[in-house]
Amino acid sequence: MDTLMAILTVFTQPQLLLLVGLGTFLGVYIGAIPGLSVTMAVSILISFTFSWDVYPAISLMVGIYMGGVYGGSRTAILLNIPGAPSAIATAMDGYPMAQRGEAGEAIGVTTVMSFFGGLVGVAVLALAAPFVAEFALTFQPRDYMLLAVLGILLVGSLSSGSLVKGIFAGAFGIAIGAVGRDPLTFAERFTFDLQIMEGGISFIAVMIGMFGISEALLQLHHVGTDAIRQQIDRIVPSWGTVRKYLPLSLQTSSIGVIIGALPGTGGDIAALMAYDHAKRVTKKPTRPFGTGAMEGLVAPETANNAAVGGAFVPMMTLGIPGDAVTAIIIGALFIHGLNPGPMLMVDQPDMFWFIVGALLTANMFILICGLTGIKLFTKIVEMPRSVLIPLIMLLSVVGAYAVNNSVTDVYWMLGFGVFGYFMRHYGYPLGPVILGVILSRLLDDNWRRAIISEREDLGRFFEGIFTSPLSLVLFVAVVLIFVSQTPLWRMIFRRKGGQTGESGK
Amino acid sequence: MDPDFRGDSDHHDGTSDATPGGYAGQRRPGELAFALFLLAASLYLLWDAYGIAGFEALSSPGAVPMATTAAMVISALIVVLRTARLPKVATESVARDILPLKVILFGVLLLGFGLLLVPLGFLPTAALFLVVAIKYLSGRGWGFTLAVSLGSLLVIWVIFRIVFTVLMPAGIVPEAELLQFFRNLGNGGAE
Repeated sequence: MDTLMAILTVFTQPQLLLLVGLGTFLGVYIGAIPGLSVTMAVSILISFTFSWDVYPAISLMVGIYMGGVYGGSRTAILLNIPGAPSAIATAMDGYPMAQRGEAGEAIGVTTVMSFFGGLVGVAVLALAAPFVAEFALTFQPRDYMLLAVLGILLVGSLSSGSLVKGIFAGAFGIAIGAVGRDPLTFAERFTFDLQIMEGGISFIAVMIGMFGISEALLQLHHVGTDAIRQQIDRIVPSWGTVRKYLPLSLQTSSIGVIIGALPGTGGDIAALMAYDHAKRVTKKPTRPFGTGAMEGLVAPETANNAAVGGAFVPMMTLGIPGDAVTAIIIGALFIHGLNPGPMLMVDQPDMFWFIVGALLTANMFILICGLTGIKLFTKIVEMPRSVLIPLIMLLSVVGAYAVNNSVTDVYWMLGFGVFGYFMRHYGYPLGPVILGVILSRLLDDNWRRAIISEREDLGRFFEGIFTSPLSLVLFVAVVLIFVSQTPLWRMIFRRKGGQTGESGK
Repeated sequence: MDPDFRGDSDHHDGTSDATPGGYAGQRRPGELAFALFLLAASLYLLWDAYGIAGFEALSSPGAVPMATTAAMVISALIVVLRTARLPKVATESVARDILPLKVILFGVLLLGFGLLLVPLGFLPTAALFLVVAIKYLSGRGWGFTLAVSLGSLLVIWVIFRIVFTVLMPAGIVPEAELLQFFRNLGNGGAE
């Protein structure tokens, strides 16, 4: 009964309901405007909402997250520019549909399917999280350490082409997180004897710089390119259409939840895997895949919204984020004095159920925001970049300043913005940096706890890993990711795969 | 092209979060220099991490920093070696595709924003920044520039100062007094 009441908190307080609605609405548009991203919006918003109470702040951010994952599909369909990583797969068949003049239908189906996927995701979150949390209580410090390493590696390897660059980015993030005085021994780390470095680098400054300023600087290259107008007609899909794709959407939602729930993998991977799945199981697609097949749209869209619920499972129960956005949400929870992890479920179950309720509500608002206001939508999306870019920069400066009322944070933010700008240009993923920053503390603490409990003996440490099934699985996974990058892996693969020919040329 | 490459194949600059920049089998202008810079910086950080506690103990405060910076050095070295072997993209140049004048100018503008923020205060600095930036980017008349920049600044100020209660440096503008004046006006002079 208490649980139900906690879930319904959002509905009983008009203010919270309004904030979730507003957040979802904003999220849909932010996700849809090229040049604005959910990661950017959430990282800037953290700094503005940190003086608020927890519930309103979370309501707004959950709304933006949910709305943004969905909104990213709009630009994928209309402009072939995925608004969020999770919408990459959506563009494959969504854009061809828009080119055929079926943008309205594509958006309509996407909306309903996102809603459906989101629902499955939240349901799984509600059912699974309590069990995972209970299981997580048995985790050893070394398991947490391995999980953190695995998460960073997965984000680095799966979200872009080069794992080495991903590893660099992740390690760089961990190093940033270590700057300042060590909380255990008070030793100075990476402070270069400067007083301003002693308190560490505000992770919000890093986030806003990397996702706000660097993005805005990159957009300067495209100031001249105008948004393409698309004719959008009827968008509410018929019941027949929805029913036709229900079986497929159930399968792809399940894929979405499972992939989303793995630490280190988020909506982008889920969507791509669901797309592959749809390709394999659909015998007779409406059109060949890649040329505007409805199945190719249904699969990624259900999966990426289902992955949101899934991603909250490791985030809430283990404190390990699935991707950059969840890493930022964890940052937001930190700021509000919450510590995501198994103890959160024990100490503050209300908070967990409140978030479940907020996700559920945001999902409903997606349906409302998605199927209405298409005229307003086309107007907003056409906002000229010459106005948008200075505004993003302004908000980034305000956001970085607002957290600690410190100009130093503004300089950090600008520095990371410029650095992130070059990273983007040269194909270094930014997600692992943020994951590294967020997980740095957890990794460091748990490594030290683990090694101290083994009396500083590496032999005993590895013995511990090899005698615990969970640690062993995690360890093998970490090793496999590394091996997959060495020539050894390619040799094994070539021998197994036979004549696959030269790859990567 | 590498089938696993999911980068941005239109602009190669990672404009969208979804698509990191770069090419699969070529290096962009400046890419090698950037990789070398990362390697040098990583080496310096590794040396600095060693200075925290040396090889004192596995649980020392320097253990994880040393491990991570070592990972940075190794990965940066691999990136340098791989990048050096790639052919250069023939159609791009640093001045046009990586660091055009526009980007440098905005870097300077942002730095100026940071420098003036406290002494001048948020409202005048932001107004100045928006007017200059929008005028330069849009190339439209002063009427448009002033209306859009001051209008959006007003909206932003109202939202963040009043709804989010974010405190920004007041500088030369008596912001608190102004706000109190409007509050009194709104309350009809009550209390």
